[in-house]
Amino acid sequence: MPPGEELGGRTPRDELAEATAHGALYLRRLRQRQLALSLLALTAFGAIVGVLPLAIDIVPQLRHVYVLGIPLAIWLLVVPLPPIFLILGALYARRADALDESFRELVRRR
Amino acid sequence: MIAILAVAAVTAGTVGLGAMGTRLARTTSDLLVASRAMTAWWNAAAISGEYLSAASFLGIAGLEMQNGITALWQSLGFTAGYLCLLLFVAAPLRRFGSYTISDFAEARLRSPRIRGLASATVLLIGGFYLVPQLKGAGLALNVVTGAPYFVGVLAVGIVVCFNVGLGGMRGITYVQAFQFWLKVFAIALPACLLLIHLGGLPARAALFGDQYPRVGATATSVSVHAPQKVTFPGATGYRVVTSSGSRTLYASAGETTTLPAGTLILPPRADVPVASGTTPLRGSEWARPVGGSGERSPVFVYSLLIATFLGTMGLPHILVRFYTNPDGPAARHTTVRVLGLLGLFYIFPGIYGALGRVLVPQLYVTGATDTVVLRLPQAAWPGTVGNVLGAITAAGAFAAFLSTSSGLLVSIAGTISHDVWPRLSRERTTTVGIRRLRFRLAAVLGMLAPILMAFFAQGVDIAVLVGWAFALAASTFCPLFLLGIWWTRLTAAGAACGMVAGAALATSGILAGLVLGEPSGAAGALLAQPAIVSVPLAFVTMIVVSLRSVERPTPDAEMLALHAPEGLDLPETGVRDPFVLGPRAGA
Repeated sequence: MPPGEELGGRTPRDELAEATAHGALYLRRLRQRQLALSLLALTAFGAIVGVLPLAIDIVPQLRHVYVLGIPLAIWLLVVPLPPIFLILGALYARRADALDESFRELVRRR
Repeated sequence: MIAILAVAAVTAGTVGLGAMGTRLARTTSDLLVASRAMTAWWNAAAISGEYLSAASFLGIAGLEMQNGITALWQSLGFTAGYLCLLLFVAAPLRRFGSYTISDFAEARLRSPRIRGLASATVLLIGGFYLVPQLKGAGLALNVVTGAPYFVGVLAVGIVVCFNVGLGGMRGITYVQAFQFWLKVFAIALPACLLLIHLGGLPARAALFGDQYPRVGATATSVSVHAPQKVTFPGATGYRVVTSSGSRTLYASAGETTTLPAGTLILPPRADVPVASGTTPLRGSEWARPVGGSGERSPVFVYSLLIATFLGTMGLPHILVRFYTNPDGPAARHTTVRVLGLLGLFYIFPGIYGALGRVLVPQLYVTGATDTVVLRLPQAAWPGTVGNVLGAITAAGAFAAFLSTSSGLLVSIAGTISHDVWPRLSRERTTTVGIRRLRFRLAAVLGMLAPILMAFFAQGVDIAVLVGWAFALAASTFCPLFLLGIWWTRLTAAGAACGMVAGAALATSGILAGLVLGEPSGAAGALLAQPAIVSVPLAFVTMIVVSLRSVERPTPDAEMLALHAPEGLDLPETGVRDPFVLGPRAGA
C-alpha cells in the first residue's frame, strides 16, 4: 500500500502538490524508474554502436567480403544503425509514456 | 547563372518568409499558440531543418572524399545525438519550461552566477559553430559565382544579421520545416539521378581497390590560385602554365613539390597529386571505416562519436525548437520522428564523397574537397542537366547555411542583449524599442568574431570545425543537463567547476590543433577531437565538487517541475514560463 493512502482524506496528489516528504518519495520513484529505462536504452545503444568500430577494425574479413560490389564493412557502417536508432527511440518513448501514465493513475486514485 | 538564381531565390524566400511570419505573429506568445497547433511531424521537420548545417550538406561529403569512408561516422553521431536527447533531456526539459540553456542553469541551480557562465559558454559554442557555416558560404559562393572566398563569408554574414535583426526564423516552424524538405530534395535528387546516369558506382579500383584517385580518359586542367604544395602519389609527367609561359615537368612517386599559381595540366590516367596536409589514400585504405592513424584511428572515431552523441543537446539553437512541443510526451514523439528524418537525409551525403573521388579528383590538388557536393553534378553530367542539378545542390547548401546560422545568431544575440549587456550597463528600466535596438546591435556584434575566424579557418575542413563545436558542447552542457535533470545533489559550484574544466580542456585541444594545423598521430587525433578526454573530466569534476561542497541542495520543486507527468493539475511550481514574460529577444 503506498504511504499516501494511510493519511485519511489526503490523496497522493495533495502530497505532491504540497511538496511533502511522501510526495517527494513518489516522485523519486518515478524518476528512478524513468532513469533506469533511459539507461537500459543507452546500454542497448552503447552495446551496438560501441562494438561496431572495434569489430570493423579487428575483423579484416568484413573489408574483403563484397556485397553488391561494396565491402561489407561499409554496408555495416551505413545501413543498420539509423533504423536501429529509430526503433530504439520509438520503443523507449512508448515505455516512458507508459511509466508516466501509471504514475498518473497512482496519483489520481480515489 | 541558373545556380545564382536558385541561391538568390532561396535567400530571398528565407528572409522574406521570416519577416512576413514575424509580422503575422506579433508577440512571442502568438508564436507559441501557433506553434502548439503544430503536429509532431511539423515540429520534427523544423528541428531537423534547423539542425542540418553546412557540415551535413557539404562537410561530410568533403571529409569523406579526403579522409575516406570513416567520415560517415560523423553523420551517424549527428543522428545519434538526438537519441541521447530523447533518452535524457527532451521530456523533462520541456516540462521545466526553460527554453535557453542559461534559463535552465539559473532556474535549476537557483544561482544567477551560473547563468553568467552558461551564457559565456553559449557564446563560445555558438561562435565556433558559426565559423563552419560561414566557411561553407564562402566556398559555395565561390563555386557558384567565382567570387573570392571572403565575399561569400561577408555576404552570408550580412544576410543572416539582417534576417535575425528583422526577427526572422525565430519560432517560425513552417519556414524551418520547409527548409528541411528543401535540403532533402536538394541532396537526394542529384544523388539518385547521378547514380542512375552512371549506372552505379564507377571506377571501383579507386574506391575499394589499390588505386589512387586518377584523372579520367582525357587530360584535366586544374586552376591553382596561389602556390600550392602537393604530393604526387604516383610518377607522372605534368604541365604547368603560368603567366611567364608553359613548362613540362616530371614528378616521381611520392615526390613533394610546390606548384606555382597558374594552371596544372595532368595527362589522362595520371594519379592526382594531393594538397600537403592530406595523405594520398589508395582505394582499400580510403574504404576502410576504422583503422590506421590520425583521423581514421579507433580513438578518433570513438571520440567523435562521444562528441556528437553528447554534444547535440548542448548546441545553443536546438533547445528553443523543443519549446514548440505542447508537453513532455509530445517532445519525446517529436524527437523519435527527428531520428527518422535525419536518418533519411544522411543516406545521401556519402554518395557525393564516393562519386567525387572518381569524377572530380582535381579537388585533391587544392584541398577544396568541401566543394564536392556543389561541383559534382556539372562534372558528371556536363550541359544543362548538370547545371540545373548543380543549381539545386547550391540552393540546398544555402538553405543549410541560412537556417543554421540564423538559429545560432538568434541564440547568440539573445544571450548578448539579455545576459551580457545588462551586466555591463547600469540602467534599470528599458523600453521595448531599446531592447529591440540592443538585440540588433548584439546580432551584428555576435557575427563579427565568427567572420574573422572564418578568414583564418579557410584551410580547415568544415567537418573538423563542426566537430570542435560538438566537443565543446559535450564537455560543458551535456554534463550540466544530465546531472542537473537526473541528480539531485548537483550544486552550482560543482556545475561551474565542471563546465570550466571541460571547456578549458576542449578549447585548449582545439586551439592547439588550429595552431599546429591538424597534426597527425595519436596526439593529433586527440587534439582534433578532445571529447573522449574532456567529457569524462567535466563529469567527474561536477560530481566530485558537488559531493564535497558543504551545501546539501534540496531541489524538490525543480525535480517536480522536471519529472512530474502532465495532467495532475498541480499548482504552479514556481518555475517560470519564459513566454509568459513576453518576448525577450526583440522579435
